[in-house]
Amino acid sequence: MSSDAVKKRKPKVIRNEAGTPETKRGRAEGEQVTYPAGPHLIGQRKLFTAKTQDVLVYNEEVELEGRDPQQDYMLYKDTCAALAKLMAEIQELKSGGAKVGSVEMEERRRQCSVHFITLKKLNRLAHMRLKKGRDQTHEAKQRVDVLHLQLQNLLYEVMHLQKEISKCLEFKSQHEEIELVSEEEFFQEAPAEISRPHVTRDDHHQLTLARLDWELEQRKRLAEQYKMSLARKEKIHKAIEQKREYLSSLQPGLQNIMQASLPVQECLSMPFEQMQKQAEVARHLPPPLYVLLVQAAAYGQACDKTLSASISGDVDEAKALSRPPEDSQDDESDSDAEEEQQNTKRRRASVGVQLDDKRKEMLRRHPLSLCVDLKCKDGSVLHLFFYYLMNLNILTVKTKVSTTTDLSGAVSAGSLLNSESLLNCLYASDHGQETPNPTNRYQFDKVGITTFADYVSDLGHPYVWVQKLGGLQFSSDGAQSELMGSALSASHMERTMKLLQGRLQARLALHKQFSSLEHSIIPISGECQHLFPAKVVSGLTRWTMMSYQEFTELGFVQHVLKAGLLRETDLFFMAVVERGTARLLAAVVVNPRYPEVMPLFSLSLHWKGERSGRTEDNLRAMESEVNMFRAELQGPRPGLQLLTNQIQRLCVCLDVYLETESQVCDGSEGPKEFPREKMCLRTARGPSRLKPFKYNHPQGFFSHR
Amino acid sequence: MGPVELLHMSVFSQSFSPCGRFLAAGNNYGEIAVFSLSAALSPDASQASQKPILNFTAHDGPVFSLLSTDTHLLSAGNGEISAWSWAELIKKSTKAAWTRKPSYETSLEIPEINAMIINPKDNSLIVGGGDNNIHIMDMETGIFKSVLKGHTDYIHCLCFKEREEEILSGGEDGAVRIWGHTEILLSHFQTCSGMASQECARPQFGKWISCLATDSDWMLCGGGPSLSLWHLRSMSPTSVFPLPGCQREAVFYQDLIMSVGEGPHVSHCLHGGTVKAQIPCTPSSLNTLALNLKNTEHRVMTVGGSSHQIDVFTNFSYRAFSLSF
Repeated sequence: MSSDAVKKRKPKVIRNEAGTPETKRGRAEGEQVTYPAGPHLIGQRKLFTAKTQDVLVYNEEVELEGRDPQQDYMLYKDTCAALAKLMAEIQELKSGGAKVGSVEMEERRRQCSVHFITLKKLNRLAHMRLKKGRDQTHEAKQRVDVLHLQLQNLLYEVMHLQKEISKCLEFKSQHEEIELVSEEEFFQEAPAEISRPHVTRDDHHQLTLARLDWELEQRKRLAEQYKMSLARKEKIHKAIEQKREYLSSLQPGLQNIMQASLPVQECLSMPFEQMQKQAEVARHLPPPLYVLLVQAAAYGQACDKTLSASISGDVDEAKALSRPPEDSQDDESDSDAEEEQQNTKRRRASVGVQLDDKRKEMLRRHPLSLCVDLKCKDGSVLHLFFYYLMNLNILTVKTKVSTTTDLSGAVSAGSLLNSESLLNCLYASDHGQETPNPTNRYQFDKVGITTFADYVSDLGHPYVWVQKLGGLQFSSDGAQSELMGSALSASHMERTMKLLQGRLQARLALHKQFSSLEHSIIPISGECQHLFPAKVVSGLTRWTMMSYQEFTELGFVQHVLKAGLLRETDLFFMAVVERGTARLLAAVVVNPRYPEVMPLFSLSLHWKGERSGRTEDNLRAMESEVNMFRAELQGPRPGLQLLTNQIQRLCVCLDVYLETESQVCDGSEGPKEFPREKMCLRTARGPSRLKPFKYNHPQGFFSHR
Repeated sequence: MGPVELLHMSVFSQSFSPCGRFLAAGNNYGEIAVFSLSAALSPDASQASQKPILNFTAHDGPVFSLLSTDTHLLSAGNGEISAWSWAELIKKSTKAAWTRKPSYETSLEIPEINAMIINPKDNSLIVGGGDNNIHIMDMETGIFKSVLKGHTDYIHCLCFKEREEEILSGGEDGAVRIWGHTEILLSHFQTCSGMASQECARPQFGKWISCLATDSDWMLCGGGPSLSLWHLRSMSPTSVFPLPGCQREAVFYQDLIMSVGEGPHVSHCLHGGTVKAQIPCTPSSLNTLALNLKNTEHRVMTVGGSSHQIDVFTNFSYRAFSLSF
């Protein structure tokens, strides 16, 4: 076992000492050469020990230095081979039957022991050699490490120095920020003792220094000048102050004179004072309202003496608004900034509240508003209140009517003078619900306003004509948008004022008519008497107002609805005309532009079953008789009696219808309910057998159209 | 024309041009509109092709009757007949070729003309209307050569039997009169009064006859009485059609009878007296029905009534689209 272990360790040592193919080759060579030298080497060792015996020191390390590892290896190989040979001989002898302890055996055993000792020695030597090798390697490595450290130190120092150099190179002097006069100018203007051209021409550094000197010189001079100017300004200021004091001391005196002159002005009916005050306030009006005021006043003076315009609202607030002029112009950006500030202040406020604030800001009105009073002949007054929404850049209007007579009584007239609908559709399809400024759409999107209509009751109606009166033009028509400002306002003023007066008159007239219609009386004026026969038997029994919803649910108006003649802005009424057992329902649509647009009647007759204008040609003819002949029915201009005349004609037509109906039918069912009293040339005509609904005035008979 | 006028418009008469490519229609305002059928029926027809190519005021009163000859469109207004050359109309010129007035006895109100037909045998125009008489005009000379008197109320409709050269007339008085070419009354019979037992009588409506049509020995008549089919030689009704409203126009078409009147539909009837179908259409009641049989390419039926729209049927069993004034 021990020999096995040695065998295993041996090659390890060899490999460690010299694992290169050269040594292997050398080993092979050595095998041949050194085989017989084995005992000789051993002998050397013995000799060596003998030598050292003198000093009584045995130093194996010294021995180690003297030995050649290659030779040791050879020795090892020889020893192993000899050992193997001896072992084989012993084996042979044993198998040959030799006894243990025989001479040959003993001899061989001894030889073997010697070989083992040699092996042991070799092993020890190998170990020592290994340790020595390691030590040497370690030493060398340490030296290398020291050198490496030195190298790194040096490198670091180099880098530091480089940094310092670049820092120095990048140094900026303050003088570079000073603006200097250009070189040519400097050489021209600076005196020679400062410019020193002979030095500075070539030396850039000196040139810069000289220029800096010159700059200092100049600045000192300017500073002195500035001081002098300040002193002069102060002096002038004082002079102005003195003069101003003098002026203000004049004011009370002037005021006294004005006060004293007031009675004189009143006596001469020259309201200079009032006009002046208004002009003073008008300065603070926003531009559109100002245009409106000027144009309205001008129109009032030129064409309509009853028109008056006045300004109301908080003047101080308006002054505060108009003082920083840029404020009013880019209000939007300002308000945005403000809003942001508010937002940061009140982080905790809910989103809804913030949005509410934004909306309020967006819909803010100018503190000043304009009130235009329009008087009619009968003494009633239309008050128009114009407001300017600053952030939306639109004008809105609210209305109020004051009359001389009492207007209570008529229930169905409730919405006639309602400020919500009074001015609807003054011009065709101008409902005043949506803002006419297209940019507002995007502003609304930002703060979550879906439609302006939700705010109309609060802010007033933004009719298109109001914008035009204020000189605001939004329409994208292009062609006629050349007029701007006052010119635009002036071009619309007269027509609009006429329309406004016309509207008020029409509404007041309707109001009066409605209260008598509700008492089943159809008021027919003398001028219109000739349109109707003297005796009309059918009579109005009911006149009621209807809502759009109720109206559209009626069966006999569906064709009108389909034709697109019903709008939610219209006024809806139900008239009931009765004669005997016959009951005629008339659904009436009154356009807000009445009397310019004719009211539209749809009929349904309840008599021996129900018939309507859809199913019966004669009722259809009655509808057209009532709805179409505006020229006949409108009476004296502007046609304020149109509606009552239409109702009266409806009654006449019902008479004709009923009387001729019983004529056509063979009156086999006893006495006629409706005896024929109207004079008719023919009772039926044409393929649809229409009845004669047209009344011919002087002769008093009925004929066909 | 405003929306209110459109709302109250009625179409009373229609006539196809001789070539069959155009349709003329007259309304209650005395206007005649000419529509291009070839444009409206073309595959790439747009909204605009359903509008008239020409619209002009022809008469003061309603245009109750329109009629096309080989070259002219004849229109009847209040007591006058005007002729318009089709060639000129297509070129959009609206100058009347001529205008004639029958001589009327009454002067207080000008009688209307409700019906016109052509007698192709002697090229004469037969006119019936408000003065209870039938006037016959020679188309060559333009002279009214004779007057047929007999009706006691105004004449609604006229009809011509080519084989026998007989004129049939129906009127407000409830009579259908048959006139021979010798200008004498061949026969007349009351459809309602005095014949209360007749199954077609409807006293709740009245007795007038507003539609007439003949096909050899058969005659259709209706109005106040129910629409009924009569055998002319025996002078007896063979079948009565159970249509609720008063009929204004009825025609024979192949083995069908098509009829329009009160109610928003065209009724298809079989000779046996049954109503086969009622095809809905736009106007709430119908005045006129016309079939374009001259041009196979544009073989359509058009109906007009109390609306500004004229319904066009390419297949007779449903409404294809509407022409609009």
